[in-house]
Amino acid sequence: MTFVHPWLLLGALGALLPLLVHLFDRRRPKPRPFAAIAFVLRSHRRTASRLRLKRLLLYTLRTLLLLAVPVALARPQLVRPGAAALRASGPAATALVVDRSLSMRFRDGDTLFEKAREEARDALAGLLPEEPVTLVPCGPDVEVPAAPSFERARLRETLDTLQPSYGGADLNRCLALAARALEDNPLPGKRLVVVSAFTAVSLQLDVPAPRVKVADKLVQPEVVLRDVARGRALPNHFLLDVKAEAAPQLGPRMVEVTFTVRNVSPGEAQEVPAALELGGRPVAKAFLALAPGSTTQKTLSARAEAGGAVTGSITLQPDALGEDDRRDFVVQVPRDLRVLVVDGAPNAVRYRDEAFFYEAALSAPGSPARPTLRDAEAAGREKLSDYDVVALLNVPAPSSEAAARLKAFVEAGGGLLLSMGDQVEADSWNQRLAALLPRPLRLVKSAGATGETALRPARLGDVAWEHPLFLPFTDKAREGLLAARFSRYMLVEAGQHAGDSAEVLAAFDDGAPALLLARRGKGRVLLFTSTVDRDWSDFAIRTSFLPLVQRSAAYLSGGLEERERVEGHIGQTLVLRPETAGAVAEVRAPSGGKVPLRPDADGGLRVGPFLEPGIYRALDAAGAPALPPFAVVLDAAQSDLTRVKPEALAAYFGEEAVKGPAGASQAKAPFWTWLLVAAALVFFLEGTLLRTP
Amino acid sequence: MPLLDAATIAKLAGVKVRARAVMEGVLSGLHKSPHQGQSVEFSEHKEYAPGDELRHLDWKAYAKFDRFYVKRFEHETDLRAVLVVDASGSMGYRSAALSKLEVATTLAGALSYLLVRQQDAAGLSVLSGGRFADVPPRAAAGHLMTLLSTLEAVVPAGPTNLPAAADHLAEGLPRRAMVVLFSDLFDETPDALRRILQLRSRKHDVAVFQILDPAELEFPFDDPTLFLSMEDERRLEVNAREIRESYLEELGAFLAQTRALCAEMDVDYQLVRTDDSLDAALLQFLAKRQGRRR
Repeated sequence: MTFVHPWLLLGALGALLPLLVHLFDRRRPKPRPFAAIAFVLRSHRRTASRLRLKRLLLYTLRTLLLLAVPVALARPQLVRPGAAALRASGPAATALVVDRSLSMRFRDGDTLFEKAREEARDALAGLLPEEPVTLVPCGPDVEVPAAPSFERARLRETLDTLQPSYGGADLNRCLALAARALEDNPLPGKRLVVVSAFTAVSLQLDVPAPRVKVADKLVQPEVVLRDVARGRALPNHFLLDVKAEAAPQLGPRMVEVTFTVRNVSPGEAQEVPAALELGGRPVAKAFLALAPGSTTQKTLSARAEAGGAVTGSITLQPDALGEDDRRDFVVQVPRDLRVLVVDGAPNAVRYRDEAFFYEAALSAPGSPARPTLRDAEAAGREKLSDYDVVALLNVPAPSSEAAARLKAFVEAGGGLLLSMGDQVEADSWNQRLAALLPRPLRLVKSAGATGETALRPARLGDVAWEHPLFLPFTDKAREGLLAARFSRYMLVEAGQHAGDSAEVLAAFDDGAPALLLARRGKGRVLLFTSTVDRDWSDFAIRTSFLPLVQRSAAYLSGGLEERERVEGHIGQTLVLRPETAGAVAEVRAPSGGKVPLRPDADGGLRVGPFLEPGIYRALDAAGAPALPPFAVVLDAAQSDLTRVKPEALAAYFGEEAVKGPAGASQAKAPFWTWLLVAAALVFFLEGTLLRTP
Repeated sequence: MPLLDAATIAKLAGVKVRARAVMEGVLSGLHKSPHQGQSVEFSEHKEYAPGDELRHLDWKAYAKFDRFYVKRFEHETDLRAVLVVDASGSMGYRSAALSKLEVATTLAGALSYLLVRQQDAAGLSVLSGGRFADVPPRAAAGHLMTLLSTLEAVVPAGPTNLPAAADHLAEGLPRRAMVVLFSDLFDETPDALRRILQLRSRKHDVAVFQILDPAELEFPFDDPTLFLSMEDERRLEVNAREIRESYLEELGAFLAQTRALCAEMDVDYQLVRTDDSLDAALLQFLAKRQGRRR
């Protein structure tokens, strides 16, 4: 035991006062002749022994009282067994590992992190002057700590500014780094002080415990565990997952949000409210019953006010760890897509009509597209600015005037789909639509009709699967696309010449382009070198036809990129793929701070690491949205606050090395306050005893 | 309703004056009392009504009140009263205006007045310093001054010795008599009170005035005190506050035991505090006796 103000111990001499008063206070009692002295004598005989005991107790209590107060004021500090043992063998280089994980945001009065800060300060104060120390803040981003030094003031300042993170902490890694830092100090004594709530997710017990190399030998350092949770369980429920999707089957702009809640508390939570917000306004509410250790799923649906990227959140009634009771999301709500379908080869028989399959695919249930069917002549009278996409299906070359209107439409941001057929004459197309065609047309190639053996029909050979158009085509869907057979298709000029901006998204197995993309102004042009009916291929009756048609329409209107779910995680980075390089000038975090940006190797833009959950916004140089916003969410694993048992901790670090068993000696013991409490109790007892006859 | 309080009585010098004052208070009280006409042994006066024997007319009353009263005197004819005053050292204790002995002598004097006024024989026996000073019972009017003079000369001394008083009275009272004891009854001899109450078995009528000081009844002391005996050499240094509760228990038990013994022996018992109104105490005693007689 040590004392902060040892000179105040002189006051303990006051404890002698009761004894001195007893010995030297010989005041003469007042003599009083009394007639009923017989009763006085009898009473005295009856009470003498009890009074003697009472007097003895009073002396003792008063002595204790006068002893406890000066001792308490001298601020005694109990030296923990570990420290005592260590000091017996000399000073030790110390590494102070402070857990900054999400679990430390758990609120029990103060947050656990505030308690951790106090524990860390206490640990610093308890070190011997000759003991160097280093600080290892342990969060999602761990830096290699400096070698132990005597700059305690700087460490205290660092401690004061330290904040808990929203991510996890790998205590094993932090301890390994701390152990390595201890090797840089020549002192033979090595000590690790760990201030944490010791959740199972932050400390893996199946990896070796930290060792320090001293004189080429690995030795076990002394480990002092300071459990900020004081051995108590940390009950928590949290959002395990949130999935938000457009639900066109429920109506226009409907959104369906399915969320999963896990309760890792030992107790049941009844009627836990959960609220859904869309676009910043509450739109739906639910109540959940959370059994201990259970996982509950719930689905809420609501209508968004507008299409496009809509931000939203699910919020549970906050518990002690409120951060994981809210999760933001961004959901792509399909916009209404207006498509002008220009039928170049109308037919009274519906299925022979050029636009029959294409229009049917666009009009399928759930499709955001609203097709308007016109023949080539009628289309010339349409106001193109009323549409998002124009599809020219097997039409003769448009007039110069119509071509100019089309060009203006595309350059202003419209989408144009061009498909081939018997009505297409390469030369006139090349002449009128030169400014729009990805590549000039050459001639029609026949590959063999379906069922013919002389000429084998062509199939798609090389497809840019990573392109947004083809992203849904995986596994069997991909096979379905590749199984389409093409008997005829238009050949285009080779694209080796300079200035070719066309991108071949799909090619036939003979290498001829099947689908080409070109950007013209703000718009896009897709050229499909075969037909969208059954004249030149059976693609129109393949299962892959419908999704490709719908996605191509969406892509041409610019809405497809918005549909890609982009979601980041705390502590991680994300690659953004803006349309054009330099479109994104900065990314802002929910709190308004800038998020680091750097170009990625594959042409994307790597953003992060993310330090806080919420909605992030990518902005252009003018501060306007450059990309749809995206959400960054917590790692749900960090919300499981199940703790490592103290005995498991002791077994992991080694019984002989752990000097402060978690939960017991970790309890901060301001001994002097207990002394004052004891003094007050003694004072109360003394008063009570004094009043007792 | 107290007629004369103890503080007022204390201002009167001498037993004679005090006793007379108390007696007059008693008489005044008697006239106001619903128990009008009652007295120690009293033969009551009844207003004359046709048919009453003329020989029983009280001519003195007629001379005094100018009205005819018939006197009933079957019980008073041979009443002999002996007033026994304990003048031991403990009776000298005082914390209020009057000491216990002063209260005892005043009460005895007032009772003497009443007895002699009724032409009953009143005697006195004073126990002081282990000796008895006796005045034999007589009914003569001049005897009253003898009684009062004797009472006035009493000083507290010596131990309380109730058994000795019992023996002394038993010897000196050959005929049936009324014995009224004024004492604090602080006698530690086993069965001391029982001995004196046994006079009852000899057909004597016994009444007890236990006179106690308020300080004895309440023990209002707080400081460490050296208690000294008033009758012998006993002494005790003690913190009075510490033993107060125990003292009150002991005293309460003693008073309860005294009351119980008096009730058992069919003896009138009256506890008088020295700060009480004496005439009220005497009236209460007389009323109690009248109640017994009925």
